[in-house]
Amino acid sequence: MNSPPDSDGGSVRVDGRRLRSERTRQLIIEAYMALVRESSQVPTAVQIAERAGYSVRSIFERFPDMHALRVAVTDHAIAEGRNQGVLRDVDSDRMTRIRSHVEQRGHGCERWLPLWRVLATQNEESPELKKRIRMIRDLVRLRLELMFQPELTGTAEPLRRHTVIALETLTDFENWGRMREFYGLDFEQAALVWIRAIDQLLPPTPKPS
Amino acid sequence: MNARSTESVGPDAASPRVDGRRQRSERTKQLIVEAYLALLRENPSIPTATQIADRAGYSVRSVFEKFPDLLALRIAATDHAIAIGTTQAAPRYVEADRMTRIRSQVETRAETCETWLPLWRAVNANQGESVELKMRIRLMREAIRQRLELMYRPELEALKDPMRRSTMVALEVLTDFESWGRMREFYGLSIEESCAVWIRAIDRLLPKVPGTR
Repeated sequence: MNSPPDSDGGSVRVDGRRLRSERTRQLIIEAYMALVRESSQVPTAVQIAERAGYSVRSIFERFPDMHALRVAVTDHAIAEGRNQGVLRDVDSDRMTRIRSHVEQRGHGCERWLPLWRVLATQNEESPELKKRIRMIRDLVRLRLELMFQPELTGTAEPLRRHTVIALETLTDFENWGRMREFYGLDFEQAALVWIRAIDQLLPPTPKPS
Repeated sequence: MNARSTESVGPDAASPRVDGRRQRSERTKQLIVEAYLALLRENPSIPTATQIADRAGYSVRSVFEKFPDLLALRIAATDHAIAIGTTQAAPRYVEADRMTRIRSQVETRAETCETWLPLWRAVNANQGESVELKMRIRLMREAIRQRLELMYRPELEALKDPMRRSTMVALEVLTDFESWGRMREFYGLSIEESCAVWIRAIDRLLPKVPGTR
């Protein structure tokens, strides 16, 4: 007779604990990302713990090591990036598509460049991070192929592939960083460089039949 | 007499000894720098002092006798690369027709990227707070930019700012070390295929100038 209420109460307790644990994980990930954005350096466990408001032990209760935390941060960034980077203006005219793509990519680079740099310098020894970097690049490439489908569809190989590669390397995270930091361009100026270059690199848009 | 003659001969004899010692010391430094570069080419991880010493055939102590720390060694390696790179990448076909200039610039740049990408990555990853390394990175980028301006002068002179600047920035970021690395490693392109990507892209980015070849 007492068993059902107990088991119900137990579930609620377990769920509450799980929720709190998930929340702690989330706050640790967010602390990691905030520190990377501020300093562009790989944060230490002590710094992350202080920022998240937990003990260092709490971090290692949720993540077996710093590498596991980095992988979790990357997964979180990929998920957030996908949510924020919803495709827009896919069926619009050429210049609207180029502008829309550059604007989204520019904002994505602004937000994720510090984390990208940390990952890129840390991925050599980690197949998990390498896999995720490849996944991010594949997503960038797929988006380019979707946005510029009309121009790319009618282009024969290897020209099509070469165009996609040129577009992808041009619009890389680090190249955005270089325009902003090395050349001192503001967001609009950097976006304009990409808009012009993409327009020049893309084959002509086929006329609607 | 003997003392006097020793005194008078002394400085003359000491000079070759000092010079010989200096030459040996310079040779050791050179071998350490070359060992560091060879290790970087084999493995993208930053080599340790022990690995460098082993490869160069010296003790770790010798490494630190020649370089106060690993940052100083990285700076010396970067200077060595800049010197070699400048010699190897002399501009060619500056006065030639458009496609010859594009091909020549791409081939030279490709060779530079192929040779120096591992060092470029190490220097960038470890520049940290080093003003010296940051200055050298800027210097290398400036040299790349000046080369582009030299090779594509007829086309760039036909453009007005901000279009000229915009084209220059696009050309420079497109032909960056890491762009080359991505084509070779991530896309698995051969050197020839990678050059073809750059040649086509540069040809499209540059304006067609009537009256030029």
